[in-house]
Amino acid sequence: MLMNIKLIVILVSYLLTASAFAQTESSASAKQIVEKFQSDLIAVMKEGKQLGYAGRYEKLKEAVINSHDLSKIARIVVGKEGEKLSEEQQQKLDEVFSKLSIASYAHNFKDYSGESFVFDSEEQTTRGGVVIHSHLVIPDDKPVKFDYMLKEKGNSWRIINIIANGVSDLALKRSEYTTILQREGFDALIAKINEKIDTYSKQ
Amino acid sequence: MVIRSSQTGSLKNSLQLARRLTLAASIVTLLSGCATTELAGNNNAANPDDPYEGFNRTMFGFNNSVDSYVAKPISDAYRWITPDFMQTGVYNFFNNLKNVNVVLNDVLQAKFEQGAQDTGRLALNTTLGLGGLFDVAKNVGWHQNDEDFEQTLAVWGVPQGSYLVLPLLGPSTARGIPGSVFDTAANPATYIGMPVQLLSLLNSRANAEGALKFIDEAALDPYVFTRESFLQWRNNLATDGRMDSSANLLDLDDELETSTKPTKE
Repeated sequence: MLMNIKLIVILVSYLLTASAFAQTESSASAKQIVEKFQSDLIAVMKEGKQLGYAGRYEKLKEAVINSHDLSKIARIVVGKEGEKLSEEQQQKLDEVFSKLSIASYAHNFKDYSGESFVFDSEEQTTRGGVVIHSHLVIPDDKPVKFDYMLKEKGNSWRIINIIANGVSDLALKRSEYTTILQREGFDALIAKINEKIDTYSKQ
Repeated sequence: MVIRSSQTGSLKNSLQLARRLTLAASIVTLLSGCATTELAGNNNAANPDDPYEGFNRTMFGFNNSVDSYVAKPISDAYRWITPDFMQTGVYNFFNNLKNVNVVLNDVLQAKFEQGAQDTGRLALNTTLGLGGLFDVAKNVGWHQNDEDFEQTLAVWGVPQGSYLVLPLLGPSTARGIPGSVFDTAANPATYIGMPVQLLSLLNSRANAEGALKFIDEAALDPYVFTRESFLQWRNNLATDGRMDSSANLLDLDDELETSTKPTKE
């Protein structure tokens, strides 16, 4: 699943490199945000080996923060369980969640092998969101559908969900996070996230 | 190339493993029998699709142990001793046989155009592809379609039912169990005989390696990760991707409303 997302992102960025340059206006459209992120990602992938994990993390940090609404995502993934968290806990979660998101990109996007991203369409949702429909063309394989959901933040747009072939990253994470909070509690969740970040950084 | 494509296909393969493993329909029937009687809710079910989470988690743990101590070592050895082209050939061979099921289900779902193409695919790969060892049809642009009886039942309006993790067979649903029984019965590979079947199992497990490694790396709670991705993936297949974004996004919007309000500063 995540691999698909990775591939999609890579492809998208590749295709969109050209249009990303056109992005001069002050408020970027949802499509531009997605394309910019993808082109950043592709650039990192292409020099993934030389950069190493730490180099990729540094470069992707800005790219991810500028395209995703990480604090909103962090709130959605804990769902109703979030109401039980204190202010500090929410902040702690925000912090480790952002690290994990960047780390998983840095870990998973380390090479590039001919995939390409194709923009399909843009759709407004009933509640003011935008969905960018696209698909990833993989040499010798079936294409993978990638849908990005964005919400407006300030005067720009931010990605809050990626749906790969119908599997929603946000829904997946929300199930995991709420289950862990219910079964094992907040400290266990933070410990598990830190453990993942640690594993990612070592490979 | 092989690795890349097996990664994308590997989740599917790992899930298909379940179906292919359905050697004995009788076992399945037996299991679904105890599943419904014995497990009734010892859990504050987080997911309404998973009322038997307690039982399912136990089975998930059991399956993982069997995998680590039996299936994975054998599969690793297989991957180590066999060259890539042979693994691809074995995969293609069984995949080609499975197209008998695909065509059957195309027809049952009234997808006649796709059924015609899948029939062509089966014919081309069986002949020019030397009994299915080579996927010639792919080069003609006929991609592998994924249809099975569970999807047919979904198209016919049978509800999905509860999520169930079956011993050795892995993730399924109440609708998936009869689906697997039919799929096994209709697949020619079922009638080939034991050594070939073992090869099929081995190959499925080997192909799933990438997906399983990915779950291991990415999942905070592997049980929930597997369940959610399995259910979403099956749903997406059953609806041919038509419902995915709208359903997911509506869901998400509601979630946004509820989760942003209490934390507004």
